[in-house]
Amino acid sequence: MSTINFSAREINFKIVYYGPGLSGKTTNLKQIYDHVPGESKGEMVSLQTEDERTLFFDFLPLDLGKVNGFKTRFHLYTVPGQVFYNSSRRLILRGVDGVVFVADSAPNRLRANAESLRNLRENLEEYNLRLGEVPYVLQVNKRDLPDAVPMEMIRQVLDPSGKVGAFEAVAAEFKGVVEPLKAVSKLVLEKLAQKT
Amino acid sequence: MLEPSLDLYGATFDKVDVVLSDLLVKSHARYALIVDRTGFVLMHQRAVWAPKPPSLDSLATLIASNYSANAAIAKLFGEDGFRETVQQGTDVGTYLEELGDKALLVTVFDASAPLGKVKLFTKKAVEQIRFLLEGVDEPRPTFEPDQAWSDDTGALLDGLFTERTHP
Repeated sequence: MSTINFSAREINFKIVYYGPGLSGKTTNLKQIYDHVPGESKGEMVSLQTEDERTLFFDFLPLDLGKVNGFKTRFHLYTVPGQVFYNSSRRLILRGVDGVVFVADSAPNRLRANAESLRNLRENLEEYNLRLGEVPYVLQVNKRDLPDAVPMEMIRQVLDPSGKVGAFEAVAAEFKGVVEPLKAVSKLVLEKLAQKT
Repeated sequence: MLEPSLDLYGATFDKVDVVLSDLLVKSHARYALIVDRTGFVLMHQRAVWAPKPPSLDSLATLIASNYSANAAIAKLFGEDGFRETVQQGTDVGTYLEELGDKALLVTVFDASAPLGKVKLFTKKAVEQIRFLLEGVDEPRPTFEPDQAWSDDTGALLDGLFTERTHP
């Protein structure tokens, strides 16, 4: 839930990168960290296992600057994708404002994508949220795989209505990383503006 | 609607600031932070003699996440939660108390501060802050995020990547 801090004159938002294991959530944050100017980003925190799999979360704070005297800040998080870390995923969703769902283009991960999206819906329900009410976009990563599943097929599985913004990406090459972040952030901002 | 996690503004903010300063003086702790449970820093104080703290954003996020994880562990055992959390390293430790249902008060201390004192004065500070928050009578400031604000903030977001991606 977006919050305002009147004394610090800050407005804060939380964006969570969700998706199956090894789909590229951490890669997204690393690429964002590498491409955002120093004064606009804080430290990136990664809680990983010894083999560099996300254990709890990755965290990157972004500082957009001031509008109307208030600083706008986005806190970006990833969740651990591996199935057995569901408790951690649920905790990270607390107070979420927007979600980037990072899907994997590999044919053998199609089912994992679908299961992760179902898991996202279930975990949001723990906070009385429905995915349709939370701003979210779809990033279809690893489009450079020679046997990448066609976009239409992935969309049919993850968003059959075709209503969700979808972006093709090769996150490891910084392709298609910025667009989903901008898209979900603008959805979050617009949702807030419409409420008032 | 944009709402603060705690009503920390105006005179209340100033009074809570004094409470945090007193906490540091009396306990000889390094830093005192109020963070909300989603990991944002609400306010903080640093003892005059204390070294520069690490990134407060990182600290607040890790503290809030750690608190949530501990609460989940407590739940596994049928507990409502662990009411206090102490972590002690060789040189530095943290002590955490709940501040209502939305925030946490965290005291960071080193070997010069006895843990008993840190606990005692942190608990007292929590009570004082609760009392101050319950007595807030000044109107909450307002901020209406309209479409113009949304557009201007969106433009800042566009600019964030422009410099590096399109030199």
